[in-house]
Amino acid sequence: MDNNNKVTSNVIEAEVPMGTVHSAAIEPYRVRLFVEDEIVRDAEVTIGVNHRGVERIMEGLPVEKANSLTEKICGICSNIHIWNSVLVAEKGLEIDVPPRAEYIRIIMGELERLHSHMLYLAHGSEVLGHETFAMRLFYIRETVMELLRMIGGNRVQYGVPIIGGIRPRADLDEMKIQKIKEGVDHIEEKILEFADRFIRDPMVMSRVTGVAALSKKDALRLSATGPTLRSTGVAVDIREDMKQYDPFEFDVITQDDGDVKSNLLMRVLEIPESIKIIRQAIKDIPDGKITNRSWEMQDTGIIRNYVEAARGKLYHSYRLEDGRVRNSIIRTPSITNINAMEHACIGTHITDAQLAIVQCDPCFTCTDRAVQIVDHPLKKNNRII
Amino acid sequence: METSMIITSLVAVIGTLIAAFVVSFWLPGIERKFIHARIQQRVGPPLSSPGFMAPIKFFFKQAVTPNSPMPKLYNALPLISLIVIVAILLLIMPQLYVLGALASIIAVIGLLKIEEIMYMFMGSLSKSVMSVGMPFPDLVKGAKHVDVTRSYVEELSTLRAFRLIAFGSFPIYIALFVPVVMAKSIFLGDIVAFQQLHGPVLFTVGGAIGAIAYFIGFMILLNEYPFAIMKTKADVIEGPLLEYMSKYRAYVYITRGFLIFVLASLFATMFLGIPPNLFSPGILVTIAVAIIFPIAMAIMSTFSPIFTFRQFYPVVAATSILGVIALVAAFL
Amino acid sequence: MNLSLKSYSRARAVHVMLVYTGGCNGCDIEIVNCIFSPKYDAEQYKVFLTWNPREADVLVVTGPVTKHVEKPLKAIYEAIPEPKAVVAAGACATMGGVYKNIHGDIPSEEIAGPVHEIIPVDAKIPGCAVRPEDVLSGVVSALPLLLNAK
Repeated sequence: MDNNNKVTSNVIEAEVPMGTVHSAAIEPYRVRLFVEDEIVRDAEVTIGVNHRGVERIMEGLPVEKANSLTEKICGICSNIHIWNSVLVAEKGLEIDVPPRAEYIRIIMGELERLHSHMLYLAHGSEVLGHETFAMRLFYIRETVMELLRMIGGNRVQYGVPIIGGIRPRADLDEMKIQKIKEGVDHIEEKILEFADRFIRDPMVMSRVTGVAALSKKDALRLSATGPTLRSTGVAVDIREDMKQYDPFEFDVITQDDGDVKSNLLMRVLEIPESIKIIRQAIKDIPDGKITNRSWEMQDTGIIRNYVEAARGKLYHSYRLEDGRVRNSIIRTPSITNINAMEHACIGTHITDAQLAIVQCDPCFTCTDRAVQIVDHPLKKNNRII
Repeated sequence: METSMIITSLVAVIGTLIAAFVVSFWLPGIERKFIHARIQQRVGPPLSSPGFMAPIKFFFKQAVTPNSPMPKLYNALPLISLIVIVAILLLIMPQLYVLGALASIIAVIGLLKIEEIMYMFMGSLSKSVMSVGMPFPDLVKGAKHVDVTRSYVEELSTLRAFRLIAFGSFPIYIALFVPVVMAKSIFLGDIVAFQQLHGPVLFTVGGAIGAIAYFIGFMILLNEYPFAIMKTKADVIEGPLLEYMSKYRAYVYITRGFLIFVLASLFATMFLGIPPNLFSPGILVTIAVAIIFPIAMAIMSTFSPIFTFRQFYPVVAATSILGVIALVAAFL
Repeated sequence: MNLSLKSYSRARAVHVMLVYTGGCNGCDIEIVNCIFSPKYDAEQYKVFLTWNPREADVLVVTGPVTKHVEKPLKAIYEAIPEPKAVVAAGACATMGGVYKNIHGDIPSEEIAGPVHEIIPVDAKIPGCAVRPEDVLSGVVSALPLLLNAK
């Protein structure tokens, strides 16, 4: 994909393809590694197996149905898709969302970031070969799943945001707030204990330090986004620009090296930041109604919105015509991280190559749609951040 | 007198073999239930399932021709591997010390080598559906490097097995020579007799260090985490064993449990001076060692990731140096 | 119920293989939860996870089968030796889910159909996403077919 260091075919000895069904892949994708004596010289990641044509199905659906459909794009980052889709409609129709609903949406968004990061750590441990750590992490993750089920009704795909607010079922009362408080306290204690244990383990640290390093220059050139970019030292977080996050105070975490260890530590350190936001939200949650139903439908032009998903910058856009959605485009963060994955594989041993792909947190189910690359007016200095 | 002695010896040999098989059926279950599951805070399978019921279930599955250029040879390899390990157990039994040069440490090491070479053959003959055989449109317009030879993941395992043969077996071989140096003879009969006289080798300085080297070598030979690079789930899925099904896979399962028992009783013979013999109370010590070894191995493997060659080489080098120190201590 | 060695051993060690065929990943993570989460540990029910079709007895399929995955799914199904059972887990695998059945003006052309159009299915587990406890009971409900097969 990048022509700057073109690898010629006479360095490469063999190609090892690893198929759509593989023990290290939680989604079906095809990766072809071009090796010389078990060191990877080039890599090619092919997606396309997950293409279900979601944007095509959305064409002509009524807007509420289209919003619910975006949730089914991905099972891990489902809430951020429906939240962003609802934000697009609210931006275009200029609907005011009551503050209590904003706070609850943020609680759900941060809880989802928690479970997504823990899943990343568990999957990374499994690819390292450490089943015990993977099981410990899945056990801690169960607390978050129970909280999500309590608020939204389902462990996966909870459907909390609607246009104008949140679903009435997802309102928080005293008991639920108390349970959320206990839950995040428990998670913070266990994750910090786990992180301590993880860093002190010499076998695991020798496996991850210095492996598949991505430099800051390369990450910017390849348009990496999200924690993958922040682990190389660039402090870009869209949550700082979102007006919904204005009342909350949190830090943007960065690491320095861009290798597997930095990526793992990134996610581990982002978990207490999300917990900080959740704690502020449940302390200051304002009273009031949770849905604003006094708005009217009109036709709009194309409306765009960006949010920060757990994996990076997420973009939705569509236009409304007679209450129906037209020309919807969804661009997920993993599509640009594919470049970073292929680049990070180079120079590693084959067993570390799967680790290099997992370190960039791929979510190919979100990503699989037809892509057209154009010259965009927002591009500065040949980079799109 | 002669015939009754021969019959007693025969009964002892066959009885010990059967006892070895019976004990080895429970060893994988003990590993998974009492160690892995306890440490991972879950319930775990019943004791008989991984080691005993799984091979029996595999016997009743249908056998299809595996994807391999020489399917009959490929299917015969696990049985050959099992026979080689049975031969090792036979050689260390005291009734067979009359065989002279065959009952020596050289024969045992040679048989262990054959067992390791089996993996290379298996890997080069297995062509499963999970890598190149997957029907996916790879070589299309715009793909990178369409002119490169495509290799199956099992071929990667073959290369790794070769590397393991070249240096991975140093620890156990060096450790096996410590009792030889102390007893000043390569014959198993002499080594056992030396320990009846002077006490077990394990209780000397050289012997204790050698036992540690033996344990690490034992883990490498069994391809247990962290030394499981030949069979890791991260890239080669199962390595050379990918195409085995039904009764051939049952042989693979049985071989693993049996190999644990045989290596443990080899330790008991060489370092404690108690050969496996059904008609003597020493059999209890052999079974105790055969249960302690997999428990210790499971504890170590639950807490470790898989080592790539970057960590593997230093660990093997360090263990080999330990073994050499043990040899030097044994001389003095 | 015959208590022969054959059916007894088949009930005491079941090997399960997972295939992901292009779904949203929700069911996949819930099934991985069954195996890897100590809360739902499947090994206590004598269900072991394997990634090798030659070793598997039960194939658990999630996701609506997209066009690219149709042939790999068939290849893996044929690689499993008899007796075998197939369990389709989730709304997408049982009836196509939202991708096949909901559309605005243009239907999606990427779905090759729910799983029963490609390979024969023995048990279906509903849910979007499936609950881990339902997956375990679904796998256990497919067992009598294995036990009583030849």
